[in-house]
Amino acid sequence: MHAGETALESHWGGGAAPFGASWQKTMMWIFIVTDALLFSGLLSGYAFLRQSIPSPWPRQSEVFSIPFIALMTFILITSSMTMGTAVTAARLGDRKKALRMLIFTIIGGLFFLGCQAYEWLELIHEGARLQSNPWGPPQFGQAFFLLTGFHGSHVISGLVILIVTAIRSAMNKTPPQGVEMAGLYWHFVDLVWVFIFTLFYLL
Amino acid sequence: MDDTHAPATTGSPYRVYWITWAMLLGITVAMLAAESFHMPRWFLVIFLLIFMMVKAVMIGGNFMHLRYEKKNLAVMVAAGILVTSLILFFFIRPEARYVLEHSSH
Repeated sequence: MHAGETALESHWGGGAAPFGASWQKTMMWIFIVTDALLFSGLLSGYAFLRQSIPSPWPRQSEVFSIPFIALMTFILITSSMTMGTAVTAARLGDRKKALRMLIFTIIGGLFFLGCQAYEWLELIHEGARLQSNPWGPPQFGQAFFLLTGFHGSHVISGLVILIVTAIRSAMNKTPPQGVEMAGLYWHFVDLVWVFIFTLFYLL
Repeated sequence: MDDTHAPATTGSPYRVYWITWAMLLGITVAMLAAESFHMPRWFLVIFLLIFMMVKAVMIGGNFMHLRYEKKNLAVMVAAGILVTSLILFFFIRPEARYVLEHSSH
């Protein structure tokens, strides 16, 4: 190496894995951070709407069935628990248990998606549209469809990832790390719901 | 490379998930119950926000295994999301006030 090149040489001390994780896991985390910032922007936009309109925001308990939303939360939290169990089972080499738990997680995700579709249809039936709704400011309907719609699209992507992972696991083609990556994404979907549930449905 | 940082438990390796699941459900029930108590609005907001953050930390730490990862990864993820979100929120807050004041005139 020339003297000039030596001067330009990076003094990086992190080695090949500064985060102590494989590149797959590091990239997954970077993706999750960027996706979280997307939801952060959406929720900040929602906060802007709430604070910038003069008309009162509708009382959520008069629009939504809060026990039904609580049921959806229960389903998603339970599916996260089964997903975590699947990840650990895969790491421990218990393929049957990992596959079983993956299937439970997929069932939970499908139930959640069904509940969300039912909630959307109910609200649309009651007159909720992007431009207007019977409960007050049009921003209420816009925030509802945008936030829950974006989250729902993530649930759909998560289900696709889980189904592919389950099929490949059944064929013994997915390493434990593959199950872990799918798990990280699914838990992220659960994490986002925690914020939507509190900030949109409760506050 | 081996990047497994499995939960170090003395009992069942799945115990952490059951406990986290039960605690998340308990917190969710407490949040729903808080709505039915007649408490000042500001108190309810703080109560719900604190419990929301507790739930987020539990999911990130126990389900997503962040507490078993290297500290720099956990800090990058948690601080990155939190700080950026707070900046976003507090930067648009004055703008929302401005829009509100001018739309009500």
